[in-house]
Formats: sequence, structure tokens, C-alpha cells
Amino acid sequence: MNRRLAHLLTRMYPGRWRERYGEEFEDFLLTGRGDVKTWIDVVRAAVSEHIHPSLSTCESGGAMSEYRTSFGTVVRQPSALIPLGMAVAALAVVLGHIALYGVAREADEGAAAHIWQLLMAAQLPALLVFGIRWLPKAPKQAMGVLALLVAAILAAMAPVYLLHL
Amino acid sequence: MSSTRDVVGTGDELDPGYYSDPPLLVLASLASGPKHGHAMIEDIERLCGTRLGPGALYGAIARLEQQGWIKPLPAEERRHPYRITPDGLKVLRAKLTRLHEFSKAGLKRLEAR
Repeated sequence: MNRRLAHLLTRMYPGRWRERYGEEFEDFLLTGRGDVKTWIDVVRAAVSEHIHPSLSTCESGGAMSEYRTSFGTVVRQPSALIPLGMAVAALAVVLGHIALYGVAREADEGAAAHIWQLLMAAQLPALLVFGIRWLPKAPKQAMGVLALLVAAILAAMAPVYLLHL
Repeated sequence: MSSTRDVVGTGDELDPGYYSDPPLLVLASLASGPKHGHAMIEDIERLCGTRLGPGALYGAIARLEQQGWIKPLPAEERRHPYRITPDGLKVLRAKLTRLHEFSKAGLKRLEAR
């Protein structure tokens, strides 16, 4: 089979499949028959690979493999990292305020209080997005990440309520 | 593992056609030692008369590798050999045993006619 046709046929497969087998498969086609029967076989297999990916059960999409959906993988998702970062930032704002101005309650809410409120409020939609996205895919891992996020939120709220800021 | 896909009929009523269960055929081929793609195709054709196309062959290879029943070996001059794993051997033995039992039962029924 000529190189161009072999390349074109290989390109019909999904990206993940090509990452693993593309080079080897193209070499295989180059050194094999190039008849119409072969084209039909490859096109049919490529379509089938899109519909029922052989790599999906372990690496992507569909059933989402166990190793891809480890706690570490889920917690590194932007939808988890963003609210976590917000909770840490809110805690840092409170602690920074305490370090600079002490625990005395101020009559008027300052910039730090507004930033804290914004950070806390913005976490709710972020948490919702995370829950919708990850609970159906990896319930166990997502629950672990949600517990971590709730703990981070409580940690950010604790100084405000305990010290009556 | 489907055993009915890619079965080619010839129109001849007495022709049993080709046996086609690509993953099983690949496992059976690798049972006699590691092979690369073209060697597997030739070996399978000798074994049962079925000539797998590249798509069917690599579809089977991908699924078997994902299941841990075959493993790739280092490439040799752009050829990529595969070997069967101990789990693959167990699966192959179980499937062939079941086929053998089915075959025996089917032939016994024919003898009784």
C-alpha cells in the first residue's frame, strides 16, 4: 500500500488509538496488501473503534478507567482545584487580616472582608459544577474531593465565626 | 469475543465458510510463540483458513493488550511482535475447551441422526 493511503487510513482512527498503535499500524499497512478489501476492512475497524473504543475501557471516555479516576486525578481537575484554591485564598485573606490588624471587630467591612465574601460565594457554583461533572463518573473519588473542599471551606470560615470578625 | 463477525460465505452450501473470532485467532496464533502482525495473519490463515484484514487484526490486538492477555515486545526492524501472557493462555485454554465441548456435543447429535 502506498504511504499516503496508509497514512490516510490510519488517520481515520481515534486519536488515543493512533497514539498507541498509529505508527506501528501505518508501517503494517505499508508492507501489506493495498486492495479494496483491505481498505474496507480498515475503514470498518476505524468506525468500530470510534463507536466501541478498545482503549476506552481502560484509558478514556465511556467507562472511564479506575486508574484514570483515582483521587489524585479527580482532585487535579480544574473544577476541583478552583474552589479549593478559592477556599485557601479566603483562609489566607482572613489570616493575613488577623496578622496585620488583630482580631478586633471593625465597625465597617473593609476590603479583606469583601474579598473573603466574594471568594466564599464564588465557591458554591464551582462546587456545583464539580459535583455535576464528577459524581456520575467517579462517585467515590468525587465524594472524597467534595469532603476535602468542604473541609477547606469550613477552615476558611472558622476564624471569622470563632473570632467574631 | 464474537465468533460470527467477518464470516465469509461463498454461496457453496457445503463450504463451512471461515471461522472468525479475531481475538481468539490471535491468541491461538501467539500460543506457539511471539509473532508480529504479518506472521500472525499467515499463521492464522494456515491454522483455520481465515485471513484477517489489518483492521480486524489490530482491533483484536488492541483489545487483547488492554485485557492484559498479550504484551508487545521490543520492535524488530519496524516490526512489532507480541507475546501471549499467562492470563492469555488461561483464557485461550478455557475458550478452546468450551469450543471443544460444543463441537463434541454437536457431532454427537449428528451421529445420533
